[in-house]
Amino acid sequence: MVNLTIDGKQVTVSKTATIYEAAKEVGISIPVLCYAKKLMPYGACRFCLVQVEQMKGRLIPACTTPVSEGMVVTTISDEIKKVRKTVMEFLLVNHVLDCPVCDKGGECDLQDLAYELESTSNRFEGEKFDLPTDEVNPLIERNMNRCVLCGRCARVCDEVVGYGSYSFINRGFETKIATAYDRGLSCEFCGQCVSMCPVGAILPRPFKFKARPWQLKEVDSVCGYCGNGCTLTLGVLNNKVETIRFNDKIGVNDGNLCVRGRFGYSYVNHDERLTKPLLRKDGELVEAEWDEALQVVADGLANAQKGQGAGILSGARLTNEELFVLKQFAKTLGTQNLDHSGGECYKGVTEGLKETIGISASTGTFPQIEKANVILAIRSDFYETHPVVGMVVNQAIRRNEAKLLVLADKRGKLSKLPGAKTLLTKPGLELDILNAMARVLLDEGLAQTEGVDGIADLQAALANFSPAQVAERTGVSAEQLQAAARQLAGAKNSAILMAYGLPYQGLNKELATAAANLALLAGIPGREGSGLYLCGEKANSQGAIDLGILPQGNGMGAQAMFTAAAAGQLDALYVVGEDPLSSYPDRDRIAKALDKVPFLVVQDLFLSPTAQQADVVLPATSFAEKDGTFTNAERRIQRVRRGISSPGQARADGAILTALAGKLGSSLAFTGPAAIFAEIGKAVPAYATCSFNEIGPQGVVWGGESLQPASRKVVAVAGGSEVEGDFRLVTGSALYHSGTVSTKAKGPMAVLAEPYVELSREDAKALKVADGDLLKVAGNGVELKLKAKVGNRLPKGVLFAPYHFAEAQVNRLYKGEAVIAVKVSK
Amino acid sequence: MFKAFAKGLSITFKHMLPGHSTTVQYPSVKLKPSDRFRGLHRLVPSQDREKCVACYLCPTVCPAKCITVEAAENDKGEKYPKVYTIDLLRCIFCGYCVEACPVEAIEMTGAYELANYEREDFQFTKQRLLK
Ligand code: SF4
Ligand code: SF4
Ligand code: SF4
Ligand code: SF4
Ligand code: SF4
Ligand code: FES
Repeated sequence: MVNLTIDGKQVTVSKTATIYEAAKEVGISIPVLCYAKKLMPYGACRFCLVQVEQMKGRLIPACTTPVSEGMVVTTISDEIKKVRKTVMEFLLVNHVLDCPVCDKGGECDLQDLAYELESTSNRFEGEKFDLPTDEVNPLIERNMNRCVLCGRCARVCDEVVGYGSYSFINRGFETKIATAYDRGLSCEFCGQCVSMCPVGAILPRPFKFKARPWQLKEVDSVCGYCGNGCTLTLGVLNNKVETIRFNDKIGVNDGNLCVRGRFGYSYVNHDERLTKPLLRKDGELVEAEWDEALQVVADGLANAQKGQGAGILSGARLTNEELFVLKQFAKTLGTQNLDHSGGECYKGVTEGLKETIGISASTGTFPQIEKANVILAIRSDFYETHPVVGMVVNQAIRRNEAKLLVLADKRGKLSKLPGAKTLLTKPGLELDILNAMARVLLDEGLAQTEGVDGIADLQAALANFSPAQVAERTGVSAEQLQAAARQLAGAKNSAILMAYGLPYQGLNKELATAAANLALLAGIPGREGSGLYLCGEKANSQGAIDLGILPQGNGMGAQAMFTAAAAGQLDALYVVGEDPLSSYPDRDRIAKALDKVPFLVVQDLFLSPTAQQADVVLPATSFAEKDGTFTNAERRIQRVRRGISSPGQARADGAILTALAGKLGSSLAFTGPAAIFAEIGKAVPAYATCSFNEIGPQGVVWGGESLQPASRKVVAVAGGSEVEGDFRLVTGSALYHSGTVSTKAKGPMAVLAEPYVELSREDAKALKVADGDLLKVAGNGVELKLKAKVGNRLPKGVLFAPYHFAEAQVNRLYKGEAVIAVKVSK
Repeated sequence: MFKAFAKGLSITFKHMLPGHSTTVQYPSVKLKPSDRFRGLHRLVPSQDREKCVACYLCPTVCPAKCITVEAAENDKGEKYPKVYTIDLLRCIFCGYCVEACPVEAIEMTGAYELANYEREDFQFTKQRLLK
């Protein structure tokens, strides 16, 4: 700690603090422009100049100067004010000052500073910037005439996002921020630069001229897309979400978002949202009143229960409270057939982790990843599914020199991060590498075996997983493998990351088990600062697991329900917030099941392909229209808040379920999220740690920052098997989309509107295809035509197709396996 | 004393003489208000459009909250007021909008004959305000 005096006030701060931070500590604000909390000190603008007794003769920038013992700082004096005003005059020499048409007006740091410094005239004259605006992409507009050269955009894109779009070019008055070859921006569109730019030089295009910042109502909620659980502050005007506001004050994401969170909000105000219940009459879906529709559903389900039974299938984007009501509803109905998210993709957590570490959740929290020394990401797609955790990984590398190991069948964003080592395996063989790494730890005596059960069995099972053997099978060299294992074991703190979700169904249980084995041997679970992270694809995947939206007793899971339905052995299916036809593996089987099932109810936002098959469609509400909680992939329970009212007669899932339960004669009441949250606490002890209203701005992490494993048992898993054939297809998530709803959002669709199949340059050359050509991809008895996308990510012989687009029907090809052998032709 | 009476009454009688009355025979005679009079608003046109750039300052400053502006982008990529309406029934003629406007796009004219029969007639749209 260091003691210093600022404007006569005594301050004690840590020795790494800067003068600016020390002053802030005691409530003295020093004007800044280029400083940003989450970025490294830079010192570009010189607004923060202060006087330091010990450094007489010049003014010192407060934002870059570290404090030292006994410093005496003056933050404001006539001289300082004069200098700051001069800095402002310099800045305004070539600034266009078109505030009336600049969307930043009202929250512009330059405006605010000019006001604060009472800058009303300029002693200097110069030419105003007259640069063309950059509007080559649909989401971010750059107007360099308004740029103040603070470098925040370039720094955030590099330090946080790890993309590196911008740099300064030219010198002197000509200096400007430019993209590569000054061709205009084309990047991953996370919008971090938009939120960092203190002026109106980088603005969100979808929000252009829509409103002034002071007109917007701000509602803090949680992103409805992925399990990252980023805080989203909705900017609402006239009952419409017009934009997402920057907010680094609450939540875990430090104000960072990905393209889906930042630009994918428009689906909540989509014209095609369902506004009235639909009933099938004479083969047609026609609008009906709620009461009638609910009665039909209640009767239909009750009848089914009297026959062969009904099944309930939920999505993982309902709030915890709604999921709880759903479970109660299943009880009321008397069915044990309950499941979510296709019933398979989360088994890595509910079975893999359960059998090894005895819990069904990640053991650490995201902020700890930033402090980790070694990070192992299983599948490079982790960045695509959970971009903002990916940014944390990037920060760990850049700030704390963490070492990143990527175990994947293709290269991706993570592989490009500085110093990242990619263990590039043949698809489907990640398991073997994890096994081999475990074996290296055991063989070299690096493993922590104390208190871990099953070591002997594991050792025996790993007989065929020597680095040399595995190297031969997978194509990852033995040395690389050994080095990775040693690194992981030797690190003070390490993190293992893996994502799960519908397109990653194949081998997910095995992979999670192998990852948990490795984690146990490296002593990761339960160690402060380290963690094993299994991150769900959807906003409340973890909540669905915590609340047990799983087959009850002897009930059927999702797959069994579909099988039963297809065989005519299930009388009703109630699908809440899911579109199985578009997103579940093996579309043909799902289609058959939906066709066969005598009574199908779908509750959703849109008339999805599944809903089109339904007998009754109930209009539900999006995350922006409800109150409740989501639990993110690090077990953080966060508040979801209502920002807008629902279109037409759409109702929240919880309300619909309660009304239905009422029709079935239950007294189940949706008495508001707070009361239900309390009920959840009674059923799920982990949720009893706090009351609904105590969930603060940072949420509440159930089980604490480091969740202790309930057991420590390594369980042997067999390796993957190589898929024969010239081409192997893997499915997954594309960065710009999440699930299928993002295909209803303008932002993501503006960047990625069409399904595609990605292949390597080598293969493209051999097949003589160029970007955009139609490719025939045949496998599993199905042939699809997809547009080719040629890139550098994939190794030869591997194809990748994202699963988000219903019309592409990739899920006809993909039947839940890790890798699919395919034939490709033009 | 009489002198004082006479002086006072002379002023009174002077006003009775023709041409000395302050009463104006409205509506056959109409006064021209001063240049600073705050009557009906006018949106100032420029060459091919209104001068207003839809900055939202006037609706923000308006104490009666009677101005509705909706900005949009025109073909040239400029910001313009797709909607600009003043609800004159609520306007208190304070002139703050004129003061706030950064581009001198709105002014107040001398028009004070604003009575009308229908409520809707008090909605002054952009087209009416540009006249
Ligand atoms: S960046 Fe700020 S100062 Fe510059 S035109 Fe926009 S609002 Fe005005
Ligand atoms: S949107 Fe994100 S990736 Fe693109 S330039 Fe800005 S910060 Fe970089
Ligand atoms: S574009 Fe914005 S963030 Fe980037 S240097 Fe200019 S003012 Fe700073
Ligand atoms: S999609 Fe996931 S990573 Fe992106 S903003 Fe939403 S929660 Fe964050
Ligand atoms: S203040 Fe002037 S430019 Fe701004 S909206 Fe009003 S009239 Fe238009
Ligand atoms: S804020 Fe310190 S130099 Fe810019």
